[in-house]
Amino acid sequence: MRSRFSAWTVAAFATAALIGSSAPASAAWRGYISHTLGFAFAAPGDLKFERGKYQAPVAGACDTMVWRATDEGVEYKVIVVDTTAQANKSATLLGEAEYVFQDKKKLLMDAFGRVDGKYGRKLSIDVPNKGGRIIAAFWFVNGRIVTLQASVPADGDVDSPEMARFVDSITFYPVRAADDALELQLAK
Amino acid sequence: MRRIAIATVLGASLAVMAAPAQAAWQSYVSHKLGFSFEAPGDVKTTTGTYRGQVAGPHESIIFRSVDDNIEYKVTVMSFMQAQADGASLIGERAYMFQDKKKVLMDTFGRVEPGKDAIYGRKITVEQPNNGGRTLGGFYFVNGKMIVLEATILPANGDYGSPDPGRFIDSIVFQLQRTQSGATELKLPE
Repeated sequence: MRSRFSAWTVAAFATAALIGSSAPASAAWRGYISHTLGFAFAAPGDLKFERGKYQAPVAGACDTMVWRATDEGVEYKVIVVDTTAQANKSATLLGEAEYVFQDKKKLLMDAFGRVDGKYGRKLSIDVPNKGGRIIAAFWFVNGRIVTLQASVPADGDVDSPEMARFVDSITFYPVRAADDALELQLAK
Repeated sequence: MRRIAIATVLGASLAVMAAPAQAAWQSYVSHKLGFSFEAPGDVKTTTGTYRGQVAGPHESIIFRSVDDNIEYKVTVMSFMQAQADGASLIGERAYMFQDKKKVLMDTFGRVEPGKDAIYGRKITVEQPNNGGRTLGGFYFVNGKMIVLEATILPANGDYGSPDPGRFIDSIVFQLQRTQSGATELKLPE
């Protein structure tokens, strides 16, 4: 009887191990911070940095900094649009960025965002032509548009709670950042 | 036949007399504040105070008229020293407007085309305790927060009235688009 129980236990552990090894490896989440830009957030995996451009009628052509990570089919992206030269138009610049984000797309959510004494907006859209779903938050911080966007393809897990975890992880108080948060490398 | 015609004319006249008199709409402009709008009746200027957690205490200028039991109000606050915080300030004001109320609409507001566009929000709420319905428009332009509110009071009761929408959508920031003959708004001393 004793040896039979052991066999069952071994089989159960082996099955669990097999299931565990066949599931996609999910990267650990960690904190990131930029003291210069004035915000911190959390994301899974390693972030890759790239430069980009943002163009809109009111904002004009602006440089962007983008940090991107992908984990379990979800793309996590932080985009910082440099609008410091026209920061006095903050309300319109932020409104325009939100409007452009959802223009001609199916809008699933458009709600107030409120973090650390700042007001922004959180939006969720379905991308046309089965392009998947994006959850985004928009803020105006130190003269810049800061947007966090988590996107998943249409055949992915569109209800993944990780997307909201990412978007809601932003903080504007450095003391609320993770203790071991990595400093974001800015463009040289 | 003549009697029927006379009776019809008399009946129509009585019906018109029994209906509440509606004031004519006219255009108002403030070149100093940089906007214009349309409203019915005489617009009076008063002052008030506004307090938000982010904004802190602020004096406000209020332009107000009432017609047919609909209150039309434009509130202006100056944040010249905090223009870069305009996005948060307008977000806070819009949030407070709808807080603990039933929101019927919350959508983008955009005034003026192309690169001159001003983005804001338009929100409709039902006031608690059958206090009526308010349509609000929220904008932040040149360091000033401009809030338009039209409240259909219960005494009016026509919550589908197009007049609040006409008021909210009449805001203009490019003053060359203001109707000629607009009345200059009086500012407090």
